[in-house]
Amino acid sequence: MLALRGIEKSYPLAVGSLPVLKGIDLNITQGEMVAIMGSSGSGKSTLLNVLGLLDGFDSGGYDLDGVDMSGLSEKQAARYRSQFLGFVFQSFNLISFKTALENVALPLFYQKVPRRERQRRALEMLGKMGMDDRADHLPSELSGGQKQRVAIARALITSPRVILADEPTGALDSTTSSEVMSVLREVNASGITVIIVTHEADIAAKCDRTIRLHDGVIIEDGRSGEVVEPTANGAGSSD
Amino acid sequence: MFNRETWIEIAHTVTANPLRTALTGLSVGLGIFILVVMQGLGFGLQNGVEQDFADEAKNTIWVRTGTTTLAYRGRQPNRYIELRDEDEERVTEQVVETPAASGRLSMWGSTVQYKNEQGNYPLMGVEPDFAELDLIPLQGGRWLHQDDVEKEAKVCVIGENVINELFKQRSPIGQYIILRGITFRVVGHFTKNGRWGNSMVYIPMTTMQRLFQGNDAIGSMVLSTGDRDLAGSTDMVDAIDGDLRLRHAVHPEDQRAVRVRDNQEEYAMFDRIFKGIRLFIWVIGGLTLLAGAIGVANIMAIVVKERTVEIGVRKALGATSGSILSLIVIEAICLTLISGALGLIAGVATLNYAAPYAQHDYFTNPEVNLRVTVTALIVLVLAGAFSGLVPALRAVRIRPIEALRYE
Repeated sequence: MLALRGIEKSYPLAVGSLPVLKGIDLNITQGEMVAIMGSSGSGKSTLLNVLGLLDGFDSGGYDLDGVDMSGLSEKQAARYRSQFLGFVFQSFNLISFKTALENVALPLFYQKVPRRERQRRALEMLGKMGMDDRADHLPSELSGGQKQRVAIARALITSPRVILADEPTGALDSTTSSEVMSVLREVNASGITVIIVTHEADIAAKCDRTIRLHDGVIIEDGRSGEVVEPTANGAGSSD
Repeated sequence: MFNRETWIEIAHTVTANPLRTALTGLSVGLGIFILVVMQGLGFGLQNGVEQDFADEAKNTIWVRTGTTTLAYRGRQPNRYIELRDEDEERVTEQVVETPAASGRLSMWGSTVQYKNEQGNYPLMGVEPDFAELDLIPLQGGRWLHQDDVEKEAKVCVIGENVINELFKQRSPIGQYIILRGITFRVVGHFTKNGRWGNSMVYIPMTTMQRLFQGNDAIGSMVLSTGDRDLAGSTDMVDAIDGDLRLRHAVHPEDQRAVRVRDNQEEYAMFDRIFKGIRLFIWVIGGLTLLAGAIGVANIMAIVVKERTVEIGVRKALGATSGSILSLIVIEAICLTLISGALGLIAGVATLNYAAPYAQHDYFTNPEVNLRVTVTALIVLVLAGAFSGLVPALRAVRIRPIEALRYE
């Protein structure tokens, strides 16, 4: 489903550049539930950027569903994003002046789905999340867990193949966190690949596979909860 | 691009911070208001001056004389130079070629009687050509004929004021009136703008000379320059001026004794002045508007900054750069267009309400024409697009994940 081969990326600085990803090789198959762990500065959010087609990379290869993703134009990237990928964020990032229903329907707007159809599908998706009675509420009228459910509904509305979640439980208490994780597990059970970026070990433990990132390279990749050998190919700098 | 969602979002941004929106709008509205009002004032000034010119044909040369101020060829100053029949004959037959010419011999404050009514009006002896030189719009009857001049006929053509005051509502044609004690038949009447136009009583030049003047003086003289261009009419002026000074022994530097005025040249001068004024107004108005547009750009930049997270989310949800760009640009255009339209309406309304109170000889009908309005609207849209584009391009460059981490 997702295949990264030797991805390297660095950010330009005032003088020189800062290498962030130093050769990432990664294969994720359809239906996996993967946690990407790492401390801040390890490159995990950059990796999520690259996986989410939100940012390009300097060298290496990225195949999504068998299609080469290198050198995409902004427009093509936007199209693949809306076709394959759903995003869930730490701070929910619901649009504050739109109701739960409108937030969920927004991705369909960018797919040019007619208004009535958008609303019907959004309501149905909110129903699946047990949120249909909150459809007309603004985000400010929802609790943290409810907001994240709306955000997950929004990520799922376009029937993506992959859900990319950036610290989805970072802003939630532990009870709500496990609720959200069980929602994500249900999503995964329906055959959708789920990739979660987290720094919490117990969240990673609820995934099938854990990838640990350090200083721009993968140092661990294996079944969650198990100690695995680093696949590291050293700390080779790209620049 | 222009669908319901877009408008809802624009309405949201505009209403989210009403004070800020209003202040920004005010700067644009004020800019266009100033532009429109100044254009209107410019046109008012121009209309006033043009109306003054419209009293006379543009392609005319007016020759007036006075007393000499400089001694010349053994003659003392303070000598009155009088134009006579021979001067007109010589100028029109030998000095220059002209399609129309007339003397203008006037007597101000002449008593005019009709039955029991009477009043004082300027009386003027002219030749048939005068009607086309002074653009006299005949309303009824006829103008003076060559025949009237030759026969020294006692006929007259009168202005609207004379009719209103002496004849009330009756038709004056064929009626007899008494001018300075002598009976004349009214053959025509006219309506003309200008200070004295409507009060004039015109009679044939020869009649005037014979009955009231006692000699062959013609007062002043007006000539048509035909279809000559500015250079041609200037040559004509020089020729007439030179001839009269020679014949009447007037010093070449004497400004009062012989005065030859070229309407075409004066009009060209005013035209240049008004082009300058219009350009000046556009520059001032444009700069004011630019200040407004910069205000809008500034606000849009703040909006983009405030909405960084939201824009990042939208991108992650599949928004294309184009949709983000158009959202911001349309928003800016809406803001400028709505506030600009309000400024435009306010400007036009101000001119319309103020116009009746601001009538003056050199200031009439301050108006904004369609061209200025359309130009102003186009300028507004461009200003809006300009003010939206820079912040929009910034919005487009926002990297989603960074935006989402931006607190």
